[in-house]
Parts: sequence; C-alpha cells; structure tokens
Amino acid sequence: MVEDILEDSFFAAMAAIGFASISKVPPRTYILCGSAAAVGHGLRYALMSADFTGIGIIGASAIAAFVIGMIAVLFASLVKVPAEACLFPALLPMIPGMYAYRAIEAIIGCLSEVNEDGFNHSLYLLSYNGMYCCAIVLGMAIGANIPIFLMKRISFQATR
Amino acid sequence: MTSKSCDCAEAGRFIAEYSAWLWSCGATCVRIDKNARRIAAAYGYNAHITVMPRHVSVMLGNESSEGQRLFAWPVEPCGINFTMNAALSSLSWKISDDKISLDEATTLFHSITSCNYDSHIKTILLTSLANASFCRLFGGDATAMLVVFIATLVGFTTRICLLAHKMDIRIVFYLCALVSSVICSSAELSDWGTTPHIALASSVLYLIPGVPYINAANDLIDRHYLCAMSRFTDACVLTAALSCGLCTGIFTMGIKFI
Repeated sequence: MVEDILEDSFFAAMAAIGFASISKVPPRTYILCGSAAAVGHGLRYALMSADFTGIGIIGASAIAAFVIGMIAVLFASLVKVPAEACLFPALLPMIPGMYAYRAIEAIIGCLSEVNEDGFNHSLYLLSYNGMYCCAIVLGMAIGANIPIFLMKRISFQATR
Repeated sequence: MTSKSCDCAEAGRFIAEYSAWLWSCGATCVRIDKNARRIAAAYGYNAHITVMPRHVSVMLGNESSEGQRLFAWPVEPCGINFTMNAALSSLSWKISDDKISLDEATTLFHSITSCNYDSHIKTILLTSLANASFCRLFGGDATAMLVVFIATLVGFTTRICLLAHKMDIRIVFYLCALVSSVICSSAELSDWGTTPHIALASSVLYLIPGVPYINAANDLIDRHYLCAMSRFTDACVLTAALSCGLCTGIFTMGIKFI
C-alpha cells in the first residue's frame, strides 16, 4: 500500500514538472510544483483505496485539490510566484484523462454502430464517462480555489 | 502617498496594455483586476477594469477630475506563461511599493514582454517524461511508457514547429494529436507490451488545455462569467480539435474498440 502510494506520488511529481515546463513556470518553482502534486496525488490514491477510506474519485479529487491549493498558497511566496503558478501544474496530473478518452471512444462507438442496442450502449458509456469527467474537474477546481479565496491577502502578495 | 504624478492618458494606456498582457499570459481575472487597481492607485487614480475575451478596457479617474476616461487594449494571444505572469505581478508591487515613475515602469514592462521565455529542448524532454509518467499513473507498463514518450516527443516537436510558422492553433492541435495517436496506434497494431490501449489513451494528454479549464472555474467563482465562458469555450474548441485528431488517427490505423 505504502509502496503504491509512493510510486503514484513519484510519477505525479514527474508529470507536474513536465506540465510546469509547458506552462513556462519559473524553473525555481519546479520543486514546489512536484512536491504539491506528489502530496495531492498520493493523498487521492490513499483516500480512494479500500484499505483507507474508499471514497469516490470525485470527493477524493476535491479533497486532494484543496490540499494542493493550501500548499500552493502557503509556499508560493517562498519562490516569489503567484499561487496559480504552482497550483495549476500540480493539479494537472489529476485531470481525468482516461474518462475523457473513454468518452471520445464512446463517440466513435456511437458513430460506428449500426444496431440500436450497440448505439445505446455507446451512448451510455459517453454519458457515464462525460459526466464523471466534468464532475471531477469541477470538484478539483472548487477544491483548489477555496484556499486562494480564503487567504486572498497571502495569495496576492506572493510576488511582492 | 502616490508615485510621481503622471498624465491620465499615459497611465490609462499603460494600465490597459499591462492588463491585456496579463490576460493573454493566463492570469485569472481577479489577479488582473487587483494588479491594475494597485498600479492605478499608485499613480493617484482609481480604475475599473472590464476584461473581455478580445480586449481589456480600463476606466480611469480620480477625486479631483470631473469625469473618467476609458482606455481599451486588444489581447494578443501569447500562450500560457507563468514566468511573465509572475514578473508582471511583481512589477505592480514595485510600482506600488517603490513609487517608480511611469517611464521607468514602462521600460520594465517592455523588457518583461519582449523577453524570450522559450527553452524548447528542455520543454520537449520534460513534457515527454510527464506524459510517460501520466501513462504509468493510468496503469501503463514500461513499453507503453516508452511508446508514449516517443509519441509525445514527436507530437510536441511538431507543435513547436507548426506554431513557429504561425499556423492556427486549432489545426496545430488536430495535427499533433493525429501524429501522436498514429505512433501509439502503430505500437498497438504491432502488439508491443501488454497495455497498448493505455499508451494510445495517454498519447494526446499533453495537449489537454488544463490551465484554461482551471482558469475558467476560477473566473466563475469570482463571478467573471463572460471571461469564464470565453476561456471554457476556447478550451473546449481545442479539446474538440485534439479529439478529432485522435479519432482520425484511430480510424486511419483501423483500431477497433468496444
């Protein structure tokens, strides 16, 4: 269990640093982005694990995003960047890419099915994955933004 | 105490241009509003900012003047750039705290906006590693990670080359997704590894416009509904473009699902 969480955290940190470079984050922020992503993703993994709380991916993502938001707001001033600069890349590894992909796969299924049952099944998959994808992104966005709005003074003085 | 006094027209133009650049480098509306107001206050004015998808308007006035003046500046897309965002935010504090003149502020501003922030080789390598890590997070094996690394390397290099030729960003996203998905589909058809479908699913994730999606939610929470819708729509269009590229790749290579 601990090994799984550590592995998950390591690859989340790698992904966050890569996304930080796409978003042209100052290089001094990479370690903070990676650390926030590792903590957040590891926490989500643990929360979703049946051995721990076993809560659903939507709730777990929102809680993990809130923790990432807290780390970003509290530590952004150390590297003199806006909180968003380490918050957003750290959140990106939690974007529900597989749900989005399965939704696209279902669209292809709808377009290529000729019988009604097959079409209905693809439509069900499209709705299921599409709704989950939207709910996870919304939960993450709300969870991550709460710290920014709760601690506005700290958030907007990080570059001072 | 305010910074050295300056002409309303000059201050208005500066704040409008500053706000437009901040918007275009991916700052949230609440940050644009706060920074612009901070600069205006430092020069003895009060400002009301209207952020629209294609331009930013600044209404500038002060206690002594009878009316207010409106300044607008078009938004030129420059891509998400948090280094510029941080530098511009820092400039607003420098103007407010150090009371620098508008001329000095303008010089600093132009040095920030004209700076070259690109470091292509480092970005390509880090992005490829990131996408391979993504593949692992979704349960891909070592072979799938290697395939995703190569697909991202080629796809991201294509993106940089096409954007350098000023090609439309939607077409760029379509073509990059097509290139990456064709590479991963080839691996699937060749039966490389045990999780080729995860490699295919992860192959285009480096293109997902995650920052605009999160920015849209941020603007929504702060009741900047127009900007939220604008950013969300932009992100959806890009997602649709990359989805079309992925679908074309899958159809072209004859991959079967479901």
